[in-house]
Amino acid sequence: MYLNRAYQILIMCIVLTLSACGKISSVNINDAGIIYCSEGNPTSFNPQLDTSGTTSDASSHQIYDRLLNFDPLTGKIIPALASSWLVSSDGLTYTFQLRRQVKFHSTDYFQPTRNFNADDVMFSINRWRLPNHPFHHVSGGKYPYFTSLELNQKIDKIERINGYRVELTLKSPDSSFLANLATDFAVILSKEYANQLVQQDNLQAIDNYPIGTGPFKYINYKKDRYIRYAKHSDYWRHDSAVEKLIFDVTPSSSLRLAKLITGECDAIAYPSQSELNVVREREDLTLDEKPGLNVGFWAFNTSKPPFDNPKVRRALSLAIDKNALLETVYFESATSAKGLLPDSSWAHQVDLIDTSYNPVMARKLLIESGISDGFSMDIWAMPVERAYNPNARKMAILIQRYLSEIGISANIVSYEWSTFRQRLTEGAHDSVLIGWNADNGDPDNFYRPLLTCAAIESGTNRAMWCNPEYDNLVNQAVLYSDTKDRISFYHAANSVIAEQVPLVPIAHAFRYRAHRSELKGLVINPFGAIRFGDVTK
Amino acid sequence: MILRTLIRNTNLLISTLLILSLFSFVLAFLFPGDPLENLSGLTNLSEQEYERVFLAYGFDQSYVTQFWIYLNKLFEGDWGLSFASGIPLWQELSLALPASIELSIYSLFVSLMIGIPLGFWAGFKYHKPADYSLLAISVVSYSLPIFWLALILILIFSLSLGWLPLSGRVSLLFDIPEVSGFMFVDIFNSEIDNKNAAYISALKHLIMPTLSLTIITAAIIFRLTRRSFIDVMSSQYIKTAYTRGLSHTQVILRHGVRNTLLPILPLFAMQSAVLLTNAMIVEFVYSWPGVGNWLIQAISQRDYPAIRAGMLAVSSLVIVVTIMTDVSAKLINPALVGENHAEN
Amino acid sequence: MRRIDFYEDDLYPSPLKHTWQEFQKSHIAVLGMWILAFFIVLIVVGPFVMPFDPLLQNPNAVLLSPSWEGSGSLQYILGTDSLGRDLLSRLVYGCRMTLGISLLLVMIAMMLGVALGATAGMAKGVRSSILNHLLDSLMAIPTLLIAIVIVAILGVGLVNSMWAIALALVPQFVHNTREFVRNEMNKEYILASKLDGARKLHLFFYCILPNMFELLVVQCTMALSIAILDISALGFLGLGAQPPSPELGAMLSEALKVAYKAPWSIALPGLAIFLMVLSINIVGDGLRAALRNRLTQ
Repeated sequence: MYLNRAYQILIMCIVLTLSACGKISSVNINDAGIIYCSEGNPTSFNPQLDTSGTTSDASSHQIYDRLLNFDPLTGKIIPALASSWLVSSDGLTYTFQLRRQVKFHSTDYFQPTRNFNADDVMFSINRWRLPNHPFHHVSGGKYPYFTSLELNQKIDKIERINGYRVELTLKSPDSSFLANLATDFAVILSKEYANQLVQQDNLQAIDNYPIGTGPFKYINYKKDRYIRYAKHSDYWRHDSAVEKLIFDVTPSSSLRLAKLITGECDAIAYPSQSELNVVREREDLTLDEKPGLNVGFWAFNTSKPPFDNPKVRRALSLAIDKNALLETVYFESATSAKGLLPDSSWAHQVDLIDTSYNPVMARKLLIESGISDGFSMDIWAMPVERAYNPNARKMAILIQRYLSEIGISANIVSYEWSTFRQRLTEGAHDSVLIGWNADNGDPDNFYRPLLTCAAIESGTNRAMWCNPEYDNLVNQAVLYSDTKDRISFYHAANSVIAEQVPLVPIAHAFRYRAHRSELKGLVINPFGAIRFGDVTK
Repeated sequence: MILRTLIRNTNLLISTLLILSLFSFVLAFLFPGDPLENLSGLTNLSEQEYERVFLAYGFDQSYVTQFWIYLNKLFEGDWGLSFASGIPLWQELSLALPASIELSIYSLFVSLMIGIPLGFWAGFKYHKPADYSLLAISVVSYSLPIFWLALILILIFSLSLGWLPLSGRVSLLFDIPEVSGFMFVDIFNSEIDNKNAAYISALKHLIMPTLSLTIITAAIIFRLTRRSFIDVMSSQYIKTAYTRGLSHTQVILRHGVRNTLLPILPLFAMQSAVLLTNAMIVEFVYSWPGVGNWLIQAISQRDYPAIRAGMLAVSSLVIVVTIMTDVSAKLINPALVGENHAEN
Repeated sequence: MRRIDFYEDDLYPSPLKHTWQEFQKSHIAVLGMWILAFFIVLIVVGPFVMPFDPLLQNPNAVLLSPSWEGSGSLQYILGTDSLGRDLLSRLVYGCRMTLGISLLLVMIAMMLGVALGATAGMAKGVRSSILNHLLDSLMAIPTLLIAIVIVAILGVGLVNSMWAIALALVPQFVHNTREFVRNEMNKEYILASKLDGARKLHLFFYCILPNMFELLVVQCTMALSIAILDISALGFLGLGAQPPSPELGAMLSEALKVAYKAPWSIALPGLAIFLMVLSINIVGDGLRAALRNRLTQ
């Protein structure tokens, strides 16, 4: 022991001397762990409480599992903690068969004595579902994802059939329901841990010192600096996760890139659009790109004249050249959008016809609808950068130029982001450049919030467009569970949109992630948060 | 004589620290918001809790009593909580301060090692090409804006050459518990397997911050030493020493070195304060988790309890270092004490 | 035309002239002065000759390289930044802002400091002793630290950081003035004036101040280089001037976002600060050396 210390001091001295000469042999110690440079601090370690991607990234797939998962490649729902499930023929009752031998994390603050079972599922769902649940009001008691989709209202009851079987009953059939259970937010917590916290009278800890069944367990977290995880050695899926996972909190995107170049990070969040080429050009770095589940669009306020006339809307949609917009605004990091759904969705309609740039036709349509000498209108451009529209102002300037060619003079309007959204909800705009990011792979997540009548009220229908035929189609679609049946409804909805043009879909932007080339297995998950469980180095 | 110096300076130290803590107490009232929140760092309290804190800080009594309670709390290590993180400020500071001190000490050491010998050498070659070129280099290096220098070093050594890491103190892969706050000590006491790799990693992280501080500090120390040496060598007693038949080397070794260094020791004290300030900027550039970085974050987040505590800690540190260097300079060179007395 | 020396006056130039002659002997110092003069001319006439407004954005010319590099354009000689603003125009306005503000601050600090220092130097007794102690403590704290403290209290922003730096510079002027005045007060020419019945104000302005001139200039050059470094450091740390204002330090911190793609946008503002500080330091060194030479002769 003594000798060992002496040896260490000797090494320290040698190292210090070496530093004087500036020659340091590099020792390869990086194999044992992965460092991910994330963009911010999570608000807690429970994604049920927050829809922000930062929180989900730090917890959803690292610490927890869900009953179901999305396959990141195909978007299909696949088994996770539920090894199989059955949907009753009336579409109301869901029976989940749970996986056995799934172990929760064992840490210095909690040692599980039993495996995962039905109690944990009941606890996790009831926490956000029932306002009188002992944990419902812990950590603020807001569950934005579930309340925004009214899932808490939709579920009639949950019953424990036996230790490994749970039955869930809905009030009305909803074929998008399963997809919601596979999102980042529907994680499974430990009931046993919750019981221990009740005894310790420390309920808050459930969200800050998390326990789950995921590939990594929580070690510690220093705000603004790092989050440390260690491998969960009893992970039910496999034993191949890396020993250490570290989130290095680095808010500046240029610093993240710099750290990636020097090898201080193995992967980084959100590389900025302007720096993508830097990553592409370097051999030691890899840029993954994938079409994201999003759509950027130009919506017309259909409650205001002359935008209440479909012919005028159609004219406007023909007046702009989408390809030019894609080139200058997205730097070719997006695909042209024909409809609401991106190509990766299973309900995507391949034969949908895109509107083409045709100013002559546009002019003709305007004259037909009685507007021969043009008019003036506002284009609202959102003030923030989003993947689906990285520079709305620039796009608005371009559109302004196209509109002037058909005799329409456009003003560009922008407010501070929260004011902007509030005034949009009030319907103060003529037209707006904005978009939508989906939370799960289900097409309902696009069709319902963007254009149904009910969405005018909840403030996501930017076109203020209410069409009974369309609403009917969207509502019908979720009553069927077979995807073929649903697709036919969505295709019908597509043709209503194409005919009425409440909005002009512009682009589906790619999602990017940059990592060092030696990192293997990091797949972009279009349906949400990053996953490190299968990553090796 | 020595005792008097010690007592005088101890008095000075205590009274300055007292003034600083009074200042930090007053700050809580000057900052926007509720003084009680600025002192305790507790926000969104229920009425009962507020009442309890109100009494605990003596807010029902006179300002003098409040200050007395505040002083007691400072000594107990209860500096309040941070608005931003909710962590006790004393705990945050006790990890951030050592990181800054560590960086400053290494750079001071390297700067002295470079600056003093070069200063003698230049003075020795007074008005010769070697002197001129060293002098030119020194003017250039102390005119460099430190934040720019640090950035340029990053551009060269991290981004272009890829030799050195650009942020933090040690690779995050090493889970080193922060106990003392001094990285090498913490690594030594930690229980990780590959300590040697950790030492090397810590060292690599240290090189660029130290270098950027050293380039500027060494230039200043060089100039001080050179000037002082030239003044000493042109003085009467050196000429007398030569007339006594002493050789060049003997004169320099016996009289030159000592008399050159003695008068500039107190100036080094001031340099350590400048060094600490520069270190704050360097910390910001290299994401070094020291007190400077911490304080700058606190200022931009308007974390008033943290600003209050951070300023108290930094200014106390500067004062303590200055006075201690001053005292040791006086103890080594009693002539300075006389000077000071003549002044008053 | 050659002047004919009738009188011996020219052999004994005034002290000021003497210092100036000594200063001119050093070529480097003169070079430094020319560089400084260049910057001062630049900040005066710069806005009239610059091709672009420093805040004008051109979304079609984002992050252009300087014109000598392959992808640069002649329209933007030093290239553009991440919002398509002309870097050359921003640099010139930046120098104007950073150097101009620093000059202003040094003026303010000098007037305040000299006034306080003169009062302290002439005063005797307790008042002076308290002031001395306070000053000694303040002198030990670097100006930037004082400035950070003041900004922390007043809040972030350019005007606040200006106040902070001006106040932080004052102690040095007070200290030096006080020392100088105290020494001069014991000299015989002051005694003579006193015997003539000169009052303190008169003594200071007509007897002491003329002798202090060179010292003040030297002190000002030091203060100026500190002011430039401090104001740009505060801008860089995000505590002083805020983007999009073209202050050199704030420009640097903005350029951090594109550090890898556009290293020149980091190199150039820093280089400008460096050259300004360097030229001022060289001039200051030259003046000090000249002063030393004159006094030892």
